[in-house]
Amino acid sequence: MKKVLMGNEAVAYSLFINGVNVAVGYPGTPSTEVIETLKNFQDDDFYVEWSTNEKVALEIAAGASLSGARSVATMKQVGLNVAADPLLSLSVVGVEGGLIVFVADDPGPHSSQTEQDTRNFARFCNLPVFDPSSPKEAFELIKPAFEISEKYKLPVLFRMTTRVCHSNQSIEFEFKREKRKIKGFEKKPDWVILPALSYIKHMELEQKLQDMKKELSAYNKVEGRGKIGIVTGGVSYFYVKEAIKGFEDLFSILKITVAHPLDEGFILEFAKDKEMLIFIEELDPVLEEEVKLILFENGRIISTYGKRNGYVPFAGELDVDKVKYIFYKVLSDKRFLAKNTFTDVLQIPKRQAQFCAGCPHRSSFLIVKNATKDKDIIFTGDIGCYTLGFAKPITTTDTCLCMGASITMAQGLNIADSSKRVIAFIGDSTFFHSGITGLVNSYYNRHNITICILDNLTTGMTGFQPHPGTGKKIYGEEGRKVSIESIVKGIGVERILLIDPYSDFTENVDKVREFLNDEELGVIVFRRECANLKSRESYFKINKNCSKCRACLKVTGCPAIDEDENGNIFIDSTLCNGCGLCKNFCRYSAIEKVMVK
Amino acid sequence: MNDIIIAGIGGQGNILLSRVVCQLFMNRGFDVKSAENIGMSQRGGSVVSYIRVGDDVGPIVPDGKADILIGLEMSEAARNVNKVNKDSVIVLNNRFVRPKNSDLKKQQILKFFEENFSKLNVINAHDIAFELNMPKAENITMLALICKEGILPFSKEEILRALEQVLTPKMYEMNKILVEKIYERY
Ligand code: SF4
Ligand code: SF4
Repeated sequence: MKKVLMGNEAVAYSLFINGVNVAVGYPGTPSTEVIETLKNFQDDDFYVEWSTNEKVALEIAAGASLSGARSVATMKQVGLNVAADPLLSLSVVGVEGGLIVFVADDPGPHSSQTEQDTRNFARFCNLPVFDPSSPKEAFELIKPAFEISEKYKLPVLFRMTTRVCHSNQSIEFEFKREKRKIKGFEKKPDWVILPALSYIKHMELEQKLQDMKKELSAYNKVEGRGKIGIVTGGVSYFYVKEAIKGFEDLFSILKITVAHPLDEGFILEFAKDKEMLIFIEELDPVLEEEVKLILFENGRIISTYGKRNGYVPFAGELDVDKVKYIFYKVLSDKRFLAKNTFTDVLQIPKRQAQFCAGCPHRSSFLIVKNATKDKDIIFTGDIGCYTLGFAKPITTTDTCLCMGASITMAQGLNIADSSKRVIAFIGDSTFFHSGITGLVNSYYNRHNITICILDNLTTGMTGFQPHPGTGKKIYGEEGRKVSIESIVKGIGVERILLIDPYSDFTENVDKVREFLNDEELGVIVFRRECANLKSRESYFKINKNCSKCRACLKVTGCPAIDEDENGNIFIDSTLCNGCGLCKNFCRYSAIEKVMVK
Repeated sequence: MNDIIIAGIGGQGNILLSRVVCQLFMNRGFDVKSAENIGMSQRGGSVVSYIRVGDDVGPIVPDGKADILIGLEMSEAARNVNKVNKDSVIVLNNRFVRPKNSDLKKQQILKFFEENFSKLNVINAHDIAFELNMPKAENITMLALICKEGILPFSKEEILRALEQVLTPKMYEMNKILVEKIYERY
């Protein structure tokens, strides 16, 4: 059949076709759709789940692999940091059934806190890394990735970037699953990593990398015969191809599909007759450094252009126009300069990411903001939709570092300056991901902070995945429900307050203010389903009582409220989700409810 | 080679629309590639999809190359004008959601497009979708109107077929009625 597949979907299809038995992951843009797609497939020897975090996911995949199952753990690049501990040990311990660690990098970044490069992680862990350029290529590379993993008994990194993960391509394939027998766990001393064994295994690992180089090199390819060599990989390969259209004779392209380990012979052969090398890659100069090292070690002197000498930007993603500009700079050839038709167009300011209309988090933040109006308080934030608590006009988030850090950073801030109260915000999924240990630490060490758990009963930012608090498993079937309050109580925390952010605003503010008077460790759970999960029952509109005071607009910042050219306030009836929050700030009874038919 | 850009804001169904357009071209036997941004940007932010008919290209449309720009929202269309040229076809949904912290006006944007492009089409998809009681379906409304006007060369039957391939059965039923009504009434 022929189908338009998103890069992540192509990976999922190929994993299933190639007999993956266990697929686990934690959602994170741009990696999420791999598991989301796999969950549509069922077979008696196939298992898929959302795990509580990436470390958990990778360890489950590792266990399954030791039993001979083909397995995959999926995550985004920052998730790999969480899973780094098992991954580094696993590269030494080795695997049995093919194990793919799928990691999505985010040059730009579009939706991440860092622009880190998983190819560098591959160098760091001594593992091979596939780096496909398109959904189609990703589809084709899953099979060899499993085979390499099984042949060399090592996990294989499968790294894609946003523009491959989230681009779509028509792909022709036969949807037929390869059946494999899982041989079961075999007890072996190899599976217990002790220092002495680790040393021996490290030597083996280095040897394996040497052994696999030639074989992996077959996935890299050379195009063209020009004297100017371009070394590229991933999506940049296509930018290069488009940028040199019409000038193909000048160039030859070395497309690197397996970025680590590189085969010296292949690189030297390519560089043999080149006048210069230009490195076109996103994120870190991985190919540039590896290739230069090979050239240097072999006494080959050649001029190179890349990130190291400022020709290619270190930050942000590339595109055809940027690549052309690089060629223009390197070659001083004006033919590569893009002609821009519209140079002085309307200046459209960047749209600030904001809480959706009717988002319960907007209300929760405003409740806390109002309850602490007269106090000097630091608000620590975390990773998820609610990171947007920093945006105007809410501005109730002062820090954001990584998953779980709101709770732990709050403790550090409190230790450093005990005169300051600190309130930490964390979401439900993140609380399960890595918030719990921070809470334990705070209880144990008597750090008296306030923790607000914003429970919207889903993993909102990545597209509404279930988690332990919802009790629903990946197919929507019943799992066991983990109660946030029971965890908090179970740890020993006595002060817990439960708030529905949609219920009476003033009352909620009073409750929270009173709760904060007691300076002991306390947890407030704000619970209300994400606005995107329910079909709306009502929306609100502005009637003629409106005095144009703009209070509703200024306080809530709800994207559904705006003013027109004449200063008339209106609510966009398509956007409004009917939460009723804005009504609390109107002193003229000008905001009224309209029921949806 | 056809390069199409769809620009809008989060929640307008931009990505779904791009999927359907891809499917339409694929059903005609073309290879397609497309790209979109997903995630943080969808929370009230700008969403842009690139559709490229043809295979041996990257996912992002180069500056000045787009043949068609479809703006589900006007200021987002304006944000992406560096991707089109004077001869490109511009299709604007008659919908303006002002980027906060700006004093942009709808008229200003319309004027800009009128002055710079001869192939400009303004379409009332938002109002029509609202009238037909499917306010969240301005994306498919837009598509139906674009095809009906002959701006994209697909028949009603082709639209329905692509929708059936891309949507869940329940969503398909709703959108089928919508498309039928649009072809009848507008
Ligand atoms: S009721 Fe008010 S605050 Fe809530 S979504 Fe509608 S306009 Fe926004
Ligand atoms: S708060 Fe009430 S009176 Fe003031 S602008 Fe909003 S709707 Fe009008």
